[in-house]
Amino acid sequence: MVLHTLRLATVPLTFTTSRLFLKPSPTLSFFSRHVQPRKPSFLLRAFSNSSAVQDTPLTQTSSDSSAARPPQWKAAIDFKWIRDNKEAVEINIENRNSNADLEAVLELYENMVTLQKEVEGIREERNNVAKKMKGKLEPSERERLVEEGKNLKESLVTLEENLVKLQDELQHVARSIPNMTHPDVPVGGEDSSAIRKEVGSPREFSFPIKDHLQLGKDLDLIDFDSAAEVSGSKFFYLKNEAVLLEMALLNWTLSEVMKKGFTPLTTPEIVRSSIVEKCGFQPRGDNTQVYSIDGTDQCLIGTAEIPVGGIHMDSILLESSLPLKYIAFSHCFRTEAGAAGAATKGLYRVHQFSKAEMFVLCRPEDSESFHNELIQIEEDLFTSLGLHFKTLDMATADLGAPAYRKFDVEAWMPGLGRFGEISSASNCTDYQSRRLGIRFRPSEPLQTGPKKGKANLPPTKFVHTLNATACAVPRMMVCLLENYQQEDGSVVIPEPLRPFMGGIEAIKPKLR
Amino acid sequence: MKGKLEPSERERLVEEGKNLKESLVTLEEDLMKLQDELQHVARSIPNMTHPDVPVGGEDSSAIRNEVGSPREFSFPIKDHLQLGKDLDLMDFDSAAEVSGSKFFYLKNEAVLLEMALLNWTLSEVMKKGFTPLTTPEIVRSSIVEKCGFQPRGDNTQVYSIDGTDQCLIGTAEIPVGGIHMDSILLESALPLKYIAFSHCFRTEAGAAGAAAKGLYRVHQFSKAEMFVLCRPEDSESFHNELIQIEEDLFTSLGLHFKTLDMATADLGAPAYRKFDIEAWMPGLGRFGEISSASNCTDYQSRRLGIRFRPSEPLQTGSKKGKANLPSTKFVHTLNATACAVPRMMVCLLENYQQEDGSVVVPETLRPFMGGIEVIKPKLR
Repeated sequence: MVLHTLRLATVPLTFTTSRLFLKPSPTLSFFSRHVQPRKPSFLLRAFSNSSAVQDTPLTQTSSDSSAARPPQWKAAIDFKWIRDNKEAVEINIENRNSNADLEAVLELYENMVTLQKEVEGIREERNNVAKKMKGKLEPSERERLVEEGKNLKESLVTLEENLVKLQDELQHVARSIPNMTHPDVPVGGEDSSAIRKEVGSPREFSFPIKDHLQLGKDLDLIDFDSAAEVSGSKFFYLKNEAVLLEMALLNWTLSEVMKKGFTPLTTPEIVRSSIVEKCGFQPRGDNTQVYSIDGTDQCLIGTAEIPVGGIHMDSILLESSLPLKYIAFSHCFRTEAGAAGAATKGLYRVHQFSKAEMFVLCRPEDSESFHNELIQIEEDLFTSLGLHFKTLDMATADLGAPAYRKFDVEAWMPGLGRFGEISSASNCTDYQSRRLGIRFRPSEPLQTGPKKGKANLPPTKFVHTLNATACAVPRMMVCLLENYQQEDGSVVIPEPLRPFMGGIEAIKPKLR
Repeated sequence: MKGKLEPSERERLVEEGKNLKESLVTLEEDLMKLQDELQHVARSIPNMTHPDVPVGGEDSSAIRNEVGSPREFSFPIKDHLQLGKDLDLMDFDSAAEVSGSKFFYLKNEAVLLEMALLNWTLSEVMKKGFTPLTTPEIVRSSIVEKCGFQPRGDNTQVYSIDGTDQCLIGTAEIPVGGIHMDSILLESALPLKYIAFSHCFRTEAGAAGAAAKGLYRVHQFSKAEMFVLCRPEDSESFHNELIQIEEDLFTSLGLHFKTLDMATADLGAPAYRKFDIEAWMPGLGRFGEISSASNCTDYQSRRLGIRFRPSEPLQTGSKKGKANLPSTKFVHTLNATACAVPRMMVCLLENYQQEDGSVVVPETLRPFMGGIEVIKPKLR
């Protein structure tokens, strides 16, 4: 195989203009001073804990057992809203097949509110006692007040401990309440998902076709056997032109998505497990998808969504810096525990893969239009590659907990004889931002007359976050190898990728 | 006992057989324990050393080659961390919150630069007949040991996965070494020359202080690694070929560097001979290691079980294996860093900085970055 130049030819020079590389305006670190009036006090704790280095050893408690250990961070869940809309929340929980216990949440919340009032009442009494003790008093009167002060203090300590426990328990059960759902999302299971769009049609083959595993063997592109010895099943080596193809896919994707104003990023692939949780994943469940690192509180990421979500955690952004649009490259690691059978063949389901992920932080009123923009970008990318695919509006039972709405793209994989998911675009509204603590401060004062925060600043709001797969390399490879195979055993390279592969037009069988 | 025997004779023999069997069982158990113990202690015997290698510690390493000279700056220079901040190329602060110290995000042109470095390196090294590979980054811990690393020591460099016997690789050398383990290759298949791309993960336990700043010492990084399996008589010349490739790459990038023949105390256990390249990093004010090329002779192959069968019968009268096949020999393995991205970035940013705060992109990399010639400060 002769390869003389490998050019990243079509990256436009226009990205040297300032607009695409605008650094977000300096974000303000959120410390407890900026708590909005009347927010529950447990929020203060979330921010003092989150930046502490966590070196506690791993504990294998399931996230459902509320007594096991207190949560390390607090999600800013809007309990009042849940209480005031409990029918809608309950219906949503059912539609999504979630095991969240709304009754328990509401009960705990009421208890907590009551207890909080009690605590506040006692604090006030204590203050009154303290005030009284400042004036001139009879010795017996003073003694009586001192006694009263002591009793109040003891009650307070007990009540405050109980309050903390209640708050922790409330967090534990409330966290599993899934995001609300867009009204247009079909209710039901897999079969209820609606087709939003269909592009292309299945290619007709005039010869018996191979699946990507066979093509990978015959063209010396993929090695699963050695990897099974070295690492285990569902690991692989890419060889020869497949390496060039991976690099071409990633380079081309970067180039295309940057044109749309996304900032390129590479990310850590080891993160603290609390970040994984804040994004809505479960690092420690029984069938967890997450690999944990021995002896630390760290995990391997399953998607760049996690470290990118973490960049702006516990921050207040300026409205003028929104939207923030990232295209992030990383390797992803997934245990695929619980996934078995035919849907795990070859490159279709693997433990480690390269992925380019789009991530957007925006104002709440903009998230729906960004969701449309993201799915449009994905559809344009896959259309350019000549794939035949369907875009699905995923039904309620198939949404992950964080997603308000989710569009999946399934591409035709002729060798496997079916459609397979190659990308997913989710609008998570404020689900992740409430957990990650990502807020923004609106620029202009609000027109109608709600209360303003201190110093005449408009109160902060939670951003909305979205994520969408721009390119998951192994599944793209399945599509490209299987769809572009020729009768002579070679595989044609789609035109957009050729400049990123040194001009190679086809992967040919090698002389042995 | 197969022949015809008197009953008393048979009985005696049966008794003798039983006694012998019992002794055998005990002895065999003892033998196995001894073998295990022998393995344990013997494994830490390091590889032999090339006669030309200087004996001694760090200061005894010899300079094999020196290319270029330190650039003279007419203005006060910045280190790569400052350049990274000013040009919005790296973020260590968010990474410290999300992951911990020594993790980072690359942003903007730095992402393009990483991809350009890897693409260009691939392109150059493939011209020399190396087969491109990407590798698993999770491997069984036994493979890590067979390559000569210690997954479970106190100051181990190796991250382990909870609840499994798996680890994260610190270098692609490990999964590539594992490809041909427990195999007999044909002599005609040698040499096998790979250029392998992977992310690498290192705990850097025990590394602290000034040599840990910024991109110089990190827990995760991208690397292109060359790996060669060859006949024993060829390893020395491949070692020279590998170091030559490295020197050519770094010369093309315009770096000022020294190639060192590492002294005996600085060789890892597997290396028979090791050449390190240290490049001038003006912002840090010193030379820093950007690559390492080791000839491991048969140290790794004896552990990984990688043999080859010579093609022709041996000329002199040595013993042949069964069926008139020449007996197998262990291959020699070599590994060499073609591109360790963070350290290359330190070099490029610090050496190519300009007075106006921009950084020039070396010409060889420009075609791989869409033609970008300079990384400029951005308007805020």
